[in-house]
Amino acid sequence: MPGGSVGPMRVFVTGLGVVSPLALGARATMDALVQGRTAFRQLTLFDTSDQRTHRAAEVVGLTVADVAPPTHRDTWSRTDAMAVVAAREALAESRLDVSRHETHLAFGGTTGGMFETEQLLAEMHRDASRREPHALMLSHPLSATSDRLQTAVGPFARSRTLCSACSGGANAILLGAAWIRSGRSERVLAGGADGLCRLTFTGFNALGAVAPDRCRPFDRRRAGLGLGEGAAFLVLESEASVRMRGAVPLAELSGWAVGSEAHHITNPEEGGATAAGLMVRALQRGAVAVHELDYVNAHGTGTPLNDAMESRALHRALGPEVARVAVSSCKGQIGHTLGAAGAIEAAMTVLAIERGELPPTGGLEEPDAECDLVHVIGKGRRAEVRSAISNSFGFGGTDTVLLFTRPQVLAASRDGERSAARERLARRSRVVVTGAATLGSLGLLGSRRSLGYLEPGPAPTGEPLRFEAKEHFDLSRARRMDRPARLLTMAMQTALGECTGKRPIGPELGAIASSAYGNVDASAEFIQRIYEKGGRLASPLAFPNLVPSSPVGHAAIYLGMRGPVLATLDLGVTGEAAIALACELIEAGEASAIVAGSIEEQSAITEHVLGPLCAGSGSWTGVRGEGAAAIVLEEEGHAERRGARALCKIEHSASGRDGFARAAALLPAPRGAALVVVARRDESTLGALAETSWRDVSIAEVASRAGHHEGLGAVAVAAAVGALGDGRAEHVLVLGLAPDRWVTFVLARR
Amino acid sequence: MDSVALRTQIKELIIRELNLEGKTPAELDDDAPLFGAGLGLDSLDALQLAMAIEERYEVTLPEGDEVRPIFASVAALADFVARSKSLATVNA
Repeated sequence: MPGGSVGPMRVFVTGLGVVSPLALGARATMDALVQGRTAFRQLTLFDTSDQRTHRAAEVVGLTVADVAPPTHRDTWSRTDAMAVVAAREALAESRLDVSRHETHLAFGGTTGGMFETEQLLAEMHRDASRREPHALMLSHPLSATSDRLQTAVGPFARSRTLCSACSGGANAILLGAAWIRSGRSERVLAGGADGLCRLTFTGFNALGAVAPDRCRPFDRRRAGLGLGEGAAFLVLESEASVRMRGAVPLAELSGWAVGSEAHHITNPEEGGATAAGLMVRALQRGAVAVHELDYVNAHGTGTPLNDAMESRALHRALGPEVARVAVSSCKGQIGHTLGAAGAIEAAMTVLAIERGELPPTGGLEEPDAECDLVHVIGKGRRAEVRSAISNSFGFGGTDTVLLFTRPQVLAASRDGERSAARERLARRSRVVVTGAATLGSLGLLGSRRSLGYLEPGPAPTGEPLRFEAKEHFDLSRARRMDRPARLLTMAMQTALGECTGKRPIGPELGAIASSAYGNVDASAEFIQRIYEKGGRLASPLAFPNLVPSSPVGHAAIYLGMRGPVLATLDLGVTGEAAIALACELIEAGEASAIVAGSIEEQSAITEHVLGPLCAGSGSWTGVRGEGAAAIVLEEEGHAERRGARALCKIEHSASGRDGFARAAALLPAPRGAALVVVARRDESTLGALAETSWRDVSIAEVASRAGHHEGLGAVAVAAAVGALGDGRAEHVLVLGLAPDRWVTFVLARR
Repeated sequence: MDSVALRTQIKELIIRELNLEGKTPAELDDDAPLFGAGLGLDSLDALQLAMAIEERYEVTLPEGDEVRPIFASVAALADFVARSKSLATVNA
């Protein structure tokens, strides 16, 4: 165990696992990087003859059949297989037996099973008779990879699937760290995985973002990124757990920061102010001085805009020390692995510290004057690395910075400061609700009127929601926003409009939105067009809207939100998951205010294929609806300081995969005028409720007025906020239940 | 097709492809710069417009800096399309 002061809730890395286009294995990947090997070659997964470019960094030597259980070979994706192999390596290195020591899972991705399902999606888009629950589609939702990890390497008592485009893997690691710091977890398996597919390959080509020859980060001739694929996981562990298990820490995850540029859906902010600010914040939170930083593993995509922005950000953040701190990007050798990138690069950053060795920037020969940094060219080199940063930036501008250190070599004089920084973060902040809104069959409503969903009345018709865009949006700024982005933004805008206070919530506001299957119809349309007209006629404007984090990214840009901006999803409890994630980030001090909710659109593919297959919606009786909901969650002190009235407080929030009985025992008992609000009042929900102290409390459901959809849990929370604000109830339990997963909230009047 | 009709057709395509809700072809000036100020179009719009023009008129736009003069205005774009189409007719 490293020396230094013993503060609470330190986060250590005790295992690494990587599947990369260079090698299977974290250390083998680092060896290949240091040797200067490059994985780009002619793509073999699918035909690229109608594309602008033809090369990518493909994972070789690993097939689904090698990894999936024999009965699941047809329903696992390559992404799943890569994730499971990387996760096994990380757990093995950490000697962590998750069945003995409770462990949680945080996973980030963007494509999931797209490669395996895109042809079928195209057929379903063209031909309604193909819209049947084909088993192959089980691998389509991003959360499928978390579910495969659950069965293949679990159990994980809690799991969360995130998407923030190209920073997803980094944000999964950040969430794992937040869980440990706030005392929610002792051990977290955190990382990301993404397989290559036609959709992303064609999309990045349509954006002109792919280098025609080779990817050359920071080079004056750089002309774009190269795509790759892979997976990586880190085992994160609290200090208490490290000591108890006698685990060997590879590095400490000592600081981190996440924020949004609120700038543009594909282009980075030119000056790099947001990225620079986050690097500074991560260093401050880790109490690491700039002169103690030795290495930065850059996002370094090789696009003209990113590398210039990131160089400016490094100059801003590091000041004169930028002339000393070595910088390199792995993307010239393994490509941009999208949701996996942040996790693979975090693993390489940990190994740089552990080995005292820096990987080079592959493809870099003639550094651009705009990228005036201490580069590592050609091959790796030896260097003492006391602390190092890994940068990850995503579409829509979600930037994430992770700071790793070798604790024993940092100046002892700063131990007091480090300990104080940890103390500040170890306190779990209390979360209150200051606004809520719903958009659905009853219209666009604030929290009080959302109470209508709990009252008797006619069933919804299932007609698509209609709205006049010009009544809700400045059209000149909203033209890039597709329908889901607009529906979500309308709900968020209305929820924020409910917030009182002497001053409004500032740009520190974050946003989280969930959607169980992402933009499935638009993805199917995009792919069908590729099949029909060829890759060169793919729509550049449509592509960025297909990332599952696109609606929330658009909302953040439109409303100017600069806190954490993330998407999450979890089949039948997708709506609840967004609000649980927001509570977790606020209580851990990652954000002071987050507007969180869900957006689910009517979709024939969801209704007839994905819903019944994945979320068990085939058993839902009644009309399918669509809509959005948004809840404004704030750290209690933050709301007080700006003079805002809290509508209620979140007394309890929890989620898990199984073992609801144990969770039921931890629920606060009902007090005063109590109420249970659920998305669906079905048998399994009633059965779960019977295990709790709330069994005799009256139950209200929202599905009978709102129609069924996967995001209904967020509508249930908004209605619960309405019931508390209205004085109808003093204490409310919201219970979300779906096969193998549950979420609970207890809301109370203040 | 005469040049006025072609320009109007291209304006309709711009409004549709770039989702300029509420705008009409009459509001788009033939000679005003398409990108930068004015309509607030950016590089992502340029990519979409290039794809849509190639699909609609079966022409090939040059990539990189060579496309800039063609994208200078609706008039320049219409001229390029008309020229490419007449060349194609001659070659056929």
